[in-house]
Amino acid sequence: MNPVVLEAINVGKIYGNGDLQVHALHPTSIEIRRREVLVIMGPSGSGKTTLLSILGLVLAPTEGEVRLDGQVVTKAKADVLAQLRRDKVGFIFQQFNLLSGLSAIDNVAIPLLLRGTGARERSERARRVLGLVSMSDKTNVKARKLSVGQQQRVAIARALVADAGVLLCDEPTASLDGTSGRAVLDTLQTLARSENRAVVIVTHDDRVLRIADRLIYVEDGQVREQPHLKQPNTGAIQ
Amino acid sequence: MRLVRLALQMLVDVPFKSLGTLLGVFVSSFLMLQEMSTLEGLLMRVSAAPDTANVDVWIGSAATESIGATDSVPASRVGAAAGTPGVAWAAPIVLGSGRVTRPDGVRECVSVLGVQAPRYAGLPGKLAAGTTRAALRGSARIFLNDNDRPSFGHAQVGDRIEINGHAGVVSGFFEGMDPHAPCFYIYTNIDEARSMTGFSEDRVTFVALGLKPGARFEDVKSRLSARIPDVTIFSRKELHDAEIRYFLVRTPAGVFFGVGVAVAALVGGLFVAVTLYSMVIDRTRDYGMLKAVGAKSGDLMRLLLIQAWTFAIAGYLIGVTGFLIMRGVVVSLRMAITPQILVSVALVSLVTCTLASLAAVRRVLTLDPALVFRG
Repeated sequence: MNPVVLEAINVGKIYGNGDLQVHALHPTSIEIRRREVLVIMGPSGSGKTTLLSILGLVLAPTEGEVRLDGQVVTKAKADVLAQLRRDKVGFIFQQFNLLSGLSAIDNVAIPLLLRGTGARERSERARRVLGLVSMSDKTNVKARKLSVGQQQRVAIARALVADAGVLLCDEPTASLDGTSGRAVLDTLQTLARSENRAVVIVTHDDRVLRIADRLIYVEDGQVREQPHLKQPNTGAIQ
Repeated sequence: MRLVRLALQMLVDVPFKSLGTLLGVFVSSFLMLQEMSTLEGLLMRVSAAPDTANVDVWIGSAATESIGATDSVPASRVGAAAGTPGVAWAAPIVLGSGRVTRPDGVRECVSVLGVQAPRYAGLPGKLAAGTTRAALRGSARIFLNDNDRPSFGHAQVGDRIEINGHAGVVSGFFEGMDPHAPCFYIYTNIDEARSMTGFSEDRVTFVALGLKPGARFEDVKSRLSARIPDVTIFSRKELHDAEIRYFLVRTPAGVFFGVGVAVAALVGGLFVAVTLYSMVIDRTRDYGMLKAVGAKSGDLMRLLLIQAWTFAIAGYLIGVTGFLIMRGVVVSLRMAITPQILVSVALVSLVTCTLASLAAVRRVLTLDPALVFRG
């Protein structure tokens, strides 16, 4: 069995207090392992994004703890969490969140820039991951001039460039047409299998299920894992 | 340094806002330079009498506040001062007042300064081209302030001007002085000054001294104080400071220019504050993304400070350039620029822009990075 890289133990999230309390996420435990693709689905407002935010260390749970590479990080200070995100977690956002005036390579290099990596190494690594997502010919094109699919691939490259063990993807195919969506999913699957990473995808898009190893369903803040969803790697839903 | 390029790229990405902010800092720096250099030019002219007269030590009455605000001392003090060890020479200066009649018949107040031949100690150091000290020798000879020539029908050498019913003959002009009193200043020889203003023969306004080479002012001052009681003894620098202090306290100029500089700094600060804050609001998702992918508070603070300092430095440099061009074109404003003014305005711009960035910094630091997951 592949090693656990990210673990949520009885994490829950409550917004507000008193009569205005909202249980965005009821206590739940999840293990995320390297080389697997975990898909989280559920209706809008169900708590998917809250769960993803807690797993991505950008939102503190009200209860429970999160472990990253075995280390409890729930109580860590903001700057320590920022450092952990920078070094160990890669994010792919629904709206890409690229800096539109920067070139593809400069966008990709941002995590390395924040880490203090030297200019030459930044450039080399950013070019390498842009190659992985077939964007070598667009390195110096400004993000605003790229197509939607190309922007998403640059966002994927940015998530990969720091060699993070975990990739958290928020609706990675939502803005993409069929061809671009398939390409992105193939890339994510390859990253999990060949680069030994854990990939977590929050989505409404059924197309994603073809690369899922596990499926978690969230509704009204309750998390249910769907056992025996499919045979690993076949893409066939059972 | 690693964040400089990113910070600048983020500015270039919003060219109109960046240019607007730059314009604000430029205007602010320009106005600060203009206000401060105008005041400096004024102060230089206000203190020109002690600054340019070839006098090391000035002795006035105990109540002396400035050259124009003083009483008189007995003329015998000149001899007493001259005999003091360390003093090379002593000369009297008298300052009387009266009314001068302009060519159009209007009568105005005049301060008449009398200096003694052959040294003419107390005469402004800067005389107009064609004017020599010796031109004061002779009856009724007067020097007019070059700035006042238009008031006297663009007076020329040889013109006659009536002072307290006495005829004065213009024999030259001095430059570089703007006395802070509302009266004209006229220099003449000491006898003429006494005659024109009815100044007592046994009194003088100041005793001007030259020190022997190597004599220290403090030593000579001690000796003078022991010999001559009830007087105020100024070094050249002390009288310079007294002139400026008197000018700033007794006229609204200090407040006027101070407010001008403060308003200019405020304008620049507001431009930067509003624009930086609005840029942060516009780029909330970008900053949220940076936080999500690992930017620490220090990184974000540096990012915004670099942007604020870019505005400060670039706006200042453009402001200095614009100011120097304007100063070269509008010579009549007689603005004086000094390294201290340049450094002061640079620091004020930097501090103002830093303070102006605080609201934007606070906004970014309190930003919830989870917002990037919201659609």
